[in-house]
Parts: sequence; C-alpha cells; structure tokens
Amino acid sequence: MGETALVTDAEPAVIRVHGLRKSYRKRLAVDGVDLVVQRGEIFGLIGPDGAGKSSLMKTIAGVLSFDAGDLEVFGVRLDSEAAAERIKHRLGFMPQGLGLNLYPELSVEENVDFFARLRLVADQELGERKTKLLAMTRLDKFRDRPMKQLSGGMKQKLGLVCTLIHEPALIVLDEPTTGVDPVSRRDFWMILSELVAEKGITALVSTAYMDEASRFHRMAMLHGGNVLATGTPESIRALAPGSQVLVEAEQPLAALACLRSTFPQVEMKGAYFSIFVDEAEAGRAKNLVQAALSDLKYNVLEVDAPELEDAFIALLRRRGLVSAVSEAPAPASSQQAAPTPQPGGETAIEARALTRDFGAFRAVDKVSFGVSPGEIFGLLGANGAGKTTVIKMLTGILVPSAGSGQVAGGDVRTGGVAIKARIGYMSQAFSLYLDLSVLENIRLYAGIYGLSAKEARSRIDWVIEMAGLGGHETERPADLSMGMRQRLALGCALVHRPQVLFLDEPTSGVDPVGRRRFWDILFRLAREENVAILVTTHYMSEAEHCDRLALMYAGRIVADAPPATLKHEVENEAGRLLELTVADAARALALLRGAGYSGAYLHGDRVRLLSRDPEGDSERIHTLLEAAGGGLPAASMHTRSLSMEDVFVYQVTALERAAQGAPT
Amino acid sequence: MSGQQPIVLWLRRLRVLTAKELLQFIRDPVLLLFMLWLFTANIYMQGSSVSMQLTSANLWTQDNDRSAASRELVSRFRPPYFRHEGEIAHLQQGLQALDRGKVMLLLDIPPNFEESLIRGEPTAVQLQVDGTHSVPGLLAANYATRIIGAFGLEQALAREGLAATNTDTLPLIIEEQRVWFNPNQKDTWFMPISELLEGITILSILLPAAALVREKERGTIEQLLVAPLSPLQIMLPKLLAMTMVILVGVSLSLFTIILPVFEVPVKGSLPLFYGVTALYVIANAGLGLLAATLARNMAQIGLLSLLIVAPIILLSGLWTPPEAMPDWLALGTQLSPLRHYIDTAYGILLKGAGVDLLWDSILSLALLGAAIFALSVTRLRRQFG
Repeated sequence: MGETALVTDAEPAVIRVHGLRKSYRKRLAVDGVDLVVQRGEIFGLIGPDGAGKSSLMKTIAGVLSFDAGDLEVFGVRLDSEAAAERIKHRLGFMPQGLGLNLYPELSVEENVDFFARLRLVADQELGERKTKLLAMTRLDKFRDRPMKQLSGGMKQKLGLVCTLIHEPALIVLDEPTTGVDPVSRRDFWMILSELVAEKGITALVSTAYMDEASRFHRMAMLHGGNVLATGTPESIRALAPGSQVLVEAEQPLAALACLRSTFPQVEMKGAYFSIFVDEAEAGRAKNLVQAALSDLKYNVLEVDAPELEDAFIALLRRRGLVSAVSEAPAPASSQQAAPTPQPGGETAIEARALTRDFGAFRAVDKVSFGVSPGEIFGLLGANGAGKTTVIKMLTGILVPSAGSGQVAGGDVRTGGVAIKARIGYMSQAFSLYLDLSVLENIRLYAGIYGLSAKEARSRIDWVIEMAGLGGHETERPADLSMGMRQRLALGCALVHRPQVLFLDEPTSGVDPVGRRRFWDILFRLAREENVAILVTTHYMSEAEHCDRLALMYAGRIVADAPPATLKHEVENEAGRLLELTVADAARALALLRGAGYSGAYLHGDRVRLLSRDPEGDSERIHTLLEAAGGGLPAASMHTRSLSMEDVFVYQVTALERAAQGAPT
Repeated sequence: MSGQQPIVLWLRRLRVLTAKELLQFIRDPVLLLFMLWLFTANIYMQGSSVSMQLTSANLWTQDNDRSAASRELVSRFRPPYFRHEGEIAHLQQGLQALDRGKVMLLLDIPPNFEESLIRGEPTAVQLQVDGTHSVPGLLAANYATRIIGAFGLEQALAREGLAATNTDTLPLIIEEQRVWFNPNQKDTWFMPISELLEGITILSILLPAAALVREKERGTIEQLLVAPLSPLQIMLPKLLAMTMVILVGVSLSLFTIILPVFEVPVKGSLPLFYGVTALYVIANAGLGLLAATLARNMAQIGLLSLLIVAPIILLSGLWTPPEAMPDWLALGTQLSPLRHYIDTAYGILLKGAGVDLLWDSILSLALLGAAIFALSVTRLRRQFG
C-alpha cells in the first residue's frame, strides 16, 4: 500500500538489480538476485546470517565487484570501477559493525567535519546540516567527546550523521541497529523515517531483528543468496497464512510434547507456548490447539495474527529451507547420568545490594534479585546500564564494592573456585578458540572442568548432538554459521553440567531461526534439568522467553516482574498502543505532534502512539486528519498489544525524563 | 565434577591447557614462520654475512712519486683485508669519493717519497679513512698503521745494511699471542651463537605475551577466568608450552645450522645448556606476560616487546661489554636476564664450563626469573581478580 503512494510511474527506479551473482572463491554469496528499489522507499533486506545481505549491499554501494548479472543505480550501469565512481557522490554507505566507519580518536564533530570535507561539502552548508543532524540525533551535547567513548547507539547515530552529511540521494545501511539497545534503536528508526519522508531520499537497510522489518516500506527476504519474497511487510506476512495461538499449560513439558507432535512451529515464551497454526483462521486454530491438548490442563490466552518473524519462519519452513523449526528435542543429559543435584539454598542466584564502583562512577548500584533453580531470568537494559558488570560480579570475575551474593550455594566474595566449578558462562562474543576445531574446543573445556575421560566422552557426544554439530566435528568455528557457533559456545559452557548458567547477550548476530533453536535448548535445560539461567539481551522479542525480567537503568533495577505483568503495568499507566495507517505518514505525524500527541512516532509507514482512551483518541485523530484535508484521512486505525520493546522504551524514556528533571 | 585428588585435577588442567597452547601456536602461520626464520635462516645469514673482521676494504691511491718504494708500499695492502682499486690523479677526486662512501681508504704518497727514504730523511704519507662504520674504520686504520710501520722499519733497517729477516741482533719485542676458546677468532663461531641468544630473547618475550593477548583479544580469557582456574593455572601452561616451542627451535638451529654449517665445537654439556635456556625463557616470559597484561591487542604487544627486548639486549653486553659502560649502566646490566644467560651460554658452548664455574650466573638467572614471574602473576591477579 505504501508502494502506490510513494512511486509515480514516470520515476525511474533508484536501484535495479537483475540476475546478480557474486561468489567468493568457491562459496556463492549472491545467487541470481532480482530487486527494484524506488525513490523515497525504506527498502529492507532481511534474512539469516550468510543469506547474502552484506554482499548485495556492498555491490550496490559500488565497493564490491560482482560476477554476473545487471546492476543499475540511479540509472547508471555499474559495470566498471569508473561507473561506480560516477554514482558515489550521490550515495552514502554505512558498513556493518558498531562505528566501524568512524575514527575512534576523533571527536563527534571532527568525525562529521572529516566526512563533510571528504565529500567537499561547502563550509556554510556543513554548518547548517551539522547543527540540524546533531540536534536530531541528540548528539549536539557531545560534540567534543571522542567517538570511542560513545555508547553503541550513539556510535550508530553518529555513523548515520556522517553518512548523511553530503545529502546523498541513496543511503545503504548494513545492519545499522545490531548491538544497539532498544531506545537508541527506536531513535535511529525515527530519525531515518523522518529524513526519508522529509528529503525524499531512498534507504536500503538490512537488519537481523525481525521485529524491525515492519518499519520497512517494502522488503526482500533473502535466503542462501536468493530472494524468497519481495513486498510490503503485509504482503509477505500473507505468504504464510495462519494464526498464532498463545497457551498456558500446567505441565509444560507434557504440553510441549503434545504440541510438538502436531504442530511444526511451537515456541516457548516464558510460561507460555506460542503456536503457529498453518492455514487456519483464529477460530479453527484455537480448536486445533485445543484438540491437541485435550488431555491436559491448559488455558488458551490469545489468538492473534502472526508476527512477521513467525511468518518468516513459517515461510522458510514451507519452502523446505529450514528442516524443522521445532527441532527434535535436545537429548537430555539425564539419559547419561543422574540429573544435577540441587544447590544448597533455595535460590540458585541471589544478589543482595550488589554495588560496583569504577573510580567515581557507580556502574551497579545496590542491585538485588533472586533466581530459583529452573527459572529463566532476563536482565534488560540499555548499553552501559550495568548488566555485564552484574554478571561479572556474580561469576567472580569482578569483586563487588559493596553488597553480597550467593551463587550455586557459594558466596561470591569467598566461594570463588567452588562457585566457578558449578556455573557455566557464555559471553557475547561466543568466546571460542577459533584456531581449535569444534571437537578440540569442547574437549578443552571438558579438561578444564576436570571431567574424567569417560565422562568427557559422553558429554562431548551430548554437546555435539544438542548443538546439531554432527558432521562438523573437525571444522573450525570460523567456518560455522553464527547459530552453530553460538550453540557450540553454549555446549562448552554446559560441558560440566552447571547448576547455574550465565548468558551475556548470547544471541547477538544470530538469525531468527538460530535464535529459536537456542531458546528451545535453554527452555529444556531449565525445565528438565532445573538449571537456573540468567540472560541479558537486547532483543526485546527474546525477553518474552524469560520467566521473569528485571529492567536495569543507570546501574539500578527499576522493574522486576514476569513479562506479562510488566506489560500490564505499562498499559495501566500509559494506555494502549494505537496504530494509524495513513497515506502521508510524515505529515500526519507532524499534525498529531502539533495537536499535543507528543509521544507519537513513525513506525515504517505507520504512526503509533500510546493512548489511555483509544476510542476517544481515534475519533479525535480522525477529525484532526480530515480537517487537515489533502487526502490525509487515516486508512485504518486499531489498537495493538504492547510488545516488550514498547514496555522497555516507555520505562526508560520515563526514567530519562525523571533523571533530567531531578537535578535542576 | 568428579571427586578426584586435587593434584591429579591440577595436573590434568595443566596438561590440557598446555596442549591447547601448542596446538594454537602450530596453527598460527605467522608466529610459526617467525620462529622458524629466527632460528634458521636468520642465524645462517648473520653467521655468514655479518663479520667484525676487515674484509675487502677498498683503497684508492694518489701516487705522486711513482717510484719503486711507493709501488712497494701500495702492494702491501693485500687481500683479503684490502682491495686496491686504482690510482687517482687529483686529490679532489678522492675526497669526493670519500664523501659519497665509494671508497674507504685514501693513501696519498708525496713526491720525492723514495728520495727522502734513500737520503735517510723522515717522510710522511697521508691516509684518510672513512670512519662512518666505526669497527671496520678502526680496523682499517690499525692495519694500515701496522703495514706502513713495518714498511718504514724495513726501510730503516735496509739503510743500516741489515736485512729485514735478520733482526736477531736488535732489541725488538716480539709479541706471541695465544687466543683461547676461539683460537682463530672466527666470527662464524661467535656470531651465530649471539644471534641464537637474541632469537631466544625475542621469542621468549613475544610468544607467551602473544598467547595471553590473543585470549584477551578474542575474549576467551573471560571464559578461563570464570572456570575454576587460578591466574597461575592460566599463565603456567602458556609458559610451559612456549618454553617447549623455544627449546625445539634451539635444537633446530643447533643441529641444522650452528653445528653442521658453522662447525662450532660444543665443548660443554648440552643438557646443561638446555636447562639454563629453559630457566632464561621462563624469566623473560614473565616480562612478556607482564607486558601482555598492559596490551590490548597483538599490535600493541608487538611494539611493547620491542620496547622490552631493546634494553635487555643493550644491557646484556651482547654488543658492548659492561666494562665499557658508564658505572651506573654497568650496574643496570645485572637486571638484564640476558647478561647472566650470556655468561652461561658462552661458558657452556665455547668454554666447556660446568655448574661448578657458572653457578653464580645460574643462581642470578633463577632469582631474577622467579621475581619477574611472581610480579606478572600478581599483576594478572590484580587485573582480573
């Protein structure tokens, strides 16, 4: 629908790709891609790791040559270096990786100036654009700060400013939001949407976060170097029709077994199951689920249209590209030996007023929480909120400045080695030895944790099977997909059957299919082996998998409850989410903000806002838009249930406002 | 976890971690090549090219006399030490060549040179030497003095009617030299060994440091720190593995280059040499690990190790004997592990000395090594503890 509004037939496409192929030695990265991007679009590329997104974007940006096919950018055929040079002044490219295109030692302003001079921007224009862009990205307060001292989100915003400083007509952004916290991410998208709407520039953006895909006007789904589908988020969702059923069951393991035997796509979300029912509208889907669970005590909570991520996975599944999303259950360790004994206390992890200072800076401020055996506990927070420091204190890498903690029955201050033998830890970088093979990595950790030869053999087999690494034993981790690397790292952390598992942003860079499989394993570990799991994540859709969530802000825990409770709290406080589909979203947004809806924001080509009185507001907005005239009436307006991201952003922005208001 | 003896567990961890370090080293093509180069090709090249002896110093002459005596004098500048490349007509020509570094010695023989000698008058020749490279410059000047002096003496004797071979009746002091340990003063014995010691020094600092920094860079160090391992247990395997690697390298250079190619006679006990080398490697590795606690990545550790290696070699007396240094610097040489290692290494290899003679150097090395290693373990513990 965005398509018709944005594109007039006379205008030539900004990017036209036909039959594009690119291979690196033997490996085919892009295998015959066809793509057309029109002016003024935010065009998304989504797909798992290794689908060919980065290669495609680099080719379009003219920094990578290709082997076969046609590629036109701004109507120029990119068939030579010289041709690529001709379009570069109208193009901005931001490569993958936090701040990789920036200079760490230069300040914010120096970075912007450097890119402007590189692009021969006149001083006066530079001054104007810099003021505007820095204000928009809220970086103006940090003009003199060296880039290396910025947070991940700020780095990406600065990267965007530097990419935009010469006012390109096309910007190519490769996973700009990976590793960026939700608030910064939402900021980033808002800025991008507003710029696109205002300046009429075109953006080609890739992302690993499926929940972001709904912000694109149109998108292409890539898999294995091929385009699976192209279209608006709606039309792609329609390719895999079905319904999503949310169920709560008393015996989760038995329920899981029943559901898995009937439905191919079942996901655990904390205490709930989310089931994708193919080709079924709401009523029939509910009946089917009820039939499958007939012998058990359960409670159907919600039947809804599937999220884009579910549709994406369903589509992959139907095309036979993913063998099985709900993987055959990971073999339980209990098959080989007795289950892990319970730790001494009742709680597996207990933090009591943990505090850590770095010089004058208090990174963690009196943090208290408890995690029971078998519980999945999520720690959320923006970059720099103190999540990693908490984990480091609990795992004994850092000594707390004040407070105390118990982990797996040992005191974090005194129980060092005893604790370490009972916990598993996996860091965000999947710290594997890249020069050792899969088997050598597992064997090394088996040795470090002092497993006997016999034990080691059975555990190695278990890890290989659990991680789905059969046949890859002698490969190096660098040759594995991110998902496999992640499961290998998890396997290494589990080789000694820990009672407590710490995961620090374990799923960064892993595609949705890999992430689901990973959470599947975690769920079984918690439910079947009673392992207590503490996990930090940036992926808000993942936070919903946790039994309980704690939200960290500026070193403190500001909320600690199950995901559903957190959502209810925000709904009670701030209202429901109202989504508005309208032809000229940018203009509608300006009108709404002018009329006092200051919290309204752009989500792709929609406008969203929180409303305490959805019905009243709907009417008021209708009136407002109609009064404005010029073909603005809202095409549709409906309420949506809040996502975890909405909750997070709401809470953090409220706290930020409070923090800004307090001292003055 | 299994209920094993703590010592068994400790040793098993040591074994798996050491094996891991060795595997990682073997799979790092850059470090592996670097080590092979330092222990083979580099030693061969240094041994066969670098020489402290005077070879083929080129000599130009301006013979203004063109007499039998002048030609006789010039002909005494003989290969292999000198190479007479010809005559020049003008002094200016020679000075330019000196400026450009084309010629090393310029001999200017005045007119009436022979006449003066025959008349029994003192006469002078002028010798200009390029002293840019101090060692060959010094040697060339010395040899030339001896040649000219001997020629003068012969001329004087001849005038007195005495044959140069018949000097028995004159009160001359004849010097009888006896050079021990390297009787022919062959550089090809000294240079390869000194290069070997340098190679050991560089690698013993760099390899363990690289092993630790690689873990910091990849983040695997955190994985080890959350495992039930003490800082000592993390450091020791690196030390052990890299000591093994270096001892293998030492064997390689001894048995493929130093012994067969340069025919250096090893007089002392090889096992003792290996033992002392291991001790030395451990002392240096402590320094490397210390540096690794400061560095964030491989590039930094590369630069830092340069910074450490330079004073160690300078203070060691490898290039300049401590006796020739200012007092305060000479005292500082005691802190360079290489200083003590050189004493023992040359002692064992060339002099055939044993523990009875070298015990004090070995003891100093051991004490220094223990102190450095303790410091680096403490530092790691503080950084991550």
